[in-house]
Amino acid sequence: MSLPSGTRNYTYAQDMAILRTKTHWALFIGFLALLFTAPLYLGNYWLGVANLIGITLIAALGLNILTGYCGQLSIGHAGFIAVGAYTAAVLTNRLELPFLVGLICAGFNAGLIGLIFGLPSVRVKGFYLAITTIAAQFIIIWVINHWSVTGGFVGIKVPYAAIGGFVFRSEASQFYLILSIAALCTFFAKNLMRTRVGRAFIAIRDNDLAAQVMGINLLYYKLLAFFIGCFMAGIAGALLAHWIGFLNAEQFSLTESILYIGMIIIGGLGTTVGPIFGVVFIRLLQQILTVEIVPFLEENIALPAGFATGVTPMLFGLVIVLFLILEPRGLAHRWTLFKSAYRLWPFSY
Amino acid sequence: MKSKRLLIVAGVICLALILAMLPITSACTPKEKTLKIGITTPSSGPAAEKGSPMGHANLDAIEYINTELGGVAGYPIEVVWLDNAYDAAKVVTNVKKFMDDGCLMFGTSSSKMMSASMEIANRAEFPGLVCFNAPVLHRPPQHIYGQMPDYGDDWSAFAKYYMENIWKGPGKPKMAMHLLNNTTGYGALDASKAAADELGIEIITPEEHSTDTISEMESLTRIRAQNPDVLYISSTPAPTAVIIKNAVELGLYPEIPIGLGHASITKALVDIAGADIVEGVYGVFPTVSWGDDVPGMAKVIEYCQKLHPKDEGNMDYITSWAQSLIMAEILRVAMENVGYDVLAKGDVESWRAIETQGIQKLKDYDVGGLHGPVSYTAGDNRLSKSVRIFQIKNGEIAPITDWIEAPVVKYEEFDWFGQ
Repeated sequence: MSLPSGTRNYTYAQDMAILRTKTHWALFIGFLALLFTAPLYLGNYWLGVANLIGITLIAALGLNILTGYCGQLSIGHAGFIAVGAYTAAVLTNRLELPFLVGLICAGFNAGLIGLIFGLPSVRVKGFYLAITTIAAQFIIIWVINHWSVTGGFVGIKVPYAAIGGFVFRSEASQFYLILSIAALCTFFAKNLMRTRVGRAFIAIRDNDLAAQVMGINLLYYKLLAFFIGCFMAGIAGALLAHWIGFLNAEQFSLTESILYIGMIIIGGLGTTVGPIFGVVFIRLLQQILTVEIVPFLEENIALPAGFATGVTPMLFGLVIVLFLILEPRGLAHRWTLFKSAYRLWPFSY
Repeated sequence: MKSKRLLIVAGVICLALILAMLPITSACTPKEKTLKIGITTPSSGPAAEKGSPMGHANLDAIEYINTELGGVAGYPIEVVWLDNAYDAAKVVTNVKKFMDDGCLMFGTSSSKMMSASMEIANRAEFPGLVCFNAPVLHRPPQHIYGQMPDYGDDWSAFAKYYMENIWKGPGKPKMAMHLLNNTTGYGALDASKAAADELGIEIITPEEHSTDTISEMESLTRIRAQNPDVLYISSTPAPTAVIIKNAVELGLYPEIPIGLGHASITKALVDIAGADIVEGVYGVFPTVSWGDDVPGMAKVIEYCQKLHPKDEGNMDYITSWAQSLIMAEILRVAMENVGYDVLAKGDVESWRAIETQGIQKLKDYDVGGLHGPVSYTAGDNRLSKSVRIFQIKNGEIAPITDWIEAPVVKYEEFDWFGQ
């Protein structure tokens, strides 16, 4: 790990610490303070965007563990999010179970479904595995649409999240709930990669044959990656369900699944900060294009009919293409370069 | 090197100054007293062929109200318009923005977008008005109102017309249904479950399709094997065009008649499928057709030709134009009953006033004859309750019946609703 000049590790604990210097701690505390005071200066709309970012982040962290760290390409992530969302919806709406029970069950149910669709990963990889996960997307959505328990095409209502009598009604209270769970998931993902399991994932991603020769059980670790990735997708789905309040299978389209892949690629595959950057970038880009740029163009510039609304998908696609060309290692790499430049400043080497 | 650094520093200072000045400039701008509403349309994405003209019509109508009618009771209407790209997550944040911005109510054009955002609106008591309406949006009635009858009403109107005017055989006719895999399609199925027996129609196993379908040969072959007497499609124009083309290729059409729900039958369908393919197809629509001799049509055509000539002839344009007129009427009635000060707050109190003193006080509002009269009836959140049957003749969508009143169906009383 690169540390600022003059920083030495004298103990194992120091070596393992994520936050090493006073500057790290100061920035971290400042960042947390900024986040937790956000409801004081953000309106409901921006808190809503923040909540969407938080939920998306949890799912993207799961996908990053599966695809970024373990190298198992999944293009059915929205399907697994749907499993979590509907599990929470059915348990809290139809069976009237508490939110926390629904949340945990959503994670486990999505994880178990992920295990089933992860089984082909033992025999196939790369594009072939991607196709099997696309099948997961379609099968899951078909089942949701045709199973009476889920409300079918009509959809299903989901009550507010509630813990111990406290109901998360306001956008601000939902923000704290989602932020706390997102923080826990980020902490978990960061630490998972510093364990034997994480190193096994990386070994499988880099060369699964070599990993097997080293004694890594491919079946076990690949399925574990699927379980963890889908578990987090399930948690995200449950939070999404309680946040929106009404579920319909159309909310979990293949486009969403592809968008998740785009997020972790733009952020930086195989890094913990990558999904954070990717999710924030994509979700904010969507909002800024929708809320600011398109209405501005429609109102102020005489463009051919329909042109302004076409700008959103065009710009969105352009930004992603430019990113892949100019910074294929993602925003996380740019962040690393920035940190190095900051540490070395005023010297360039 | 030095100049580069200077440039960066200057850039950062400029950015900081702009950010710092933003609140000051907005605070200095004198604020005009307006009545604010939110409108979101799927102007891009997979339903753009409907959403784009509908968004144009919404804004063009408001332009007409503000410039020619002097707004509502002297106050101009301010629209917060946002594209939702037919994306559920986007529409949720859009509706939150409307609430945050102090909008008095909001409108969406598609039932899918309203279903994604309705719970947020219902929870906040924020009234919404949807153009294309499905039973799930207003049964049981809460804070979402349908501008027009729902997809279930379309089915009922067409089935009744079919039984009275087209079906000549003995016994029960067999009706096949091809449904879009969302509330648009399944709203029609709900109505068929509720009323098919009463009308004496046998429904054969429904088939479903998605918005991006490119072939329905397989599903239509299954339908053909069951020898239906009539085919009903509840979808949007692009997939409807695919289904009708495939039905022609299989010889299913024009052998049996085809009926369409109101989200299917529009100029876009004729353009996509071709006039010869859809010739003779029946459809249900809740507005008049383009160019009809009704008082409100002149302004629709004038503004469409002036601002969005490409939308001319599109009945969706009429629908959304009427939606904006209805929203303006709701504001006018609410203004009359509670005054500007209550509405100016743009909070829950204003929303309640809009709902109880605006929407629920609507009585026989004539939308320039563009669709049936608009009234609120207790327990029924559909504001206009009339539809007409149309038929495509020589590429034109022509009405063949007078207005048909669609009775309210209390779907929530059926065990199967929502299952």
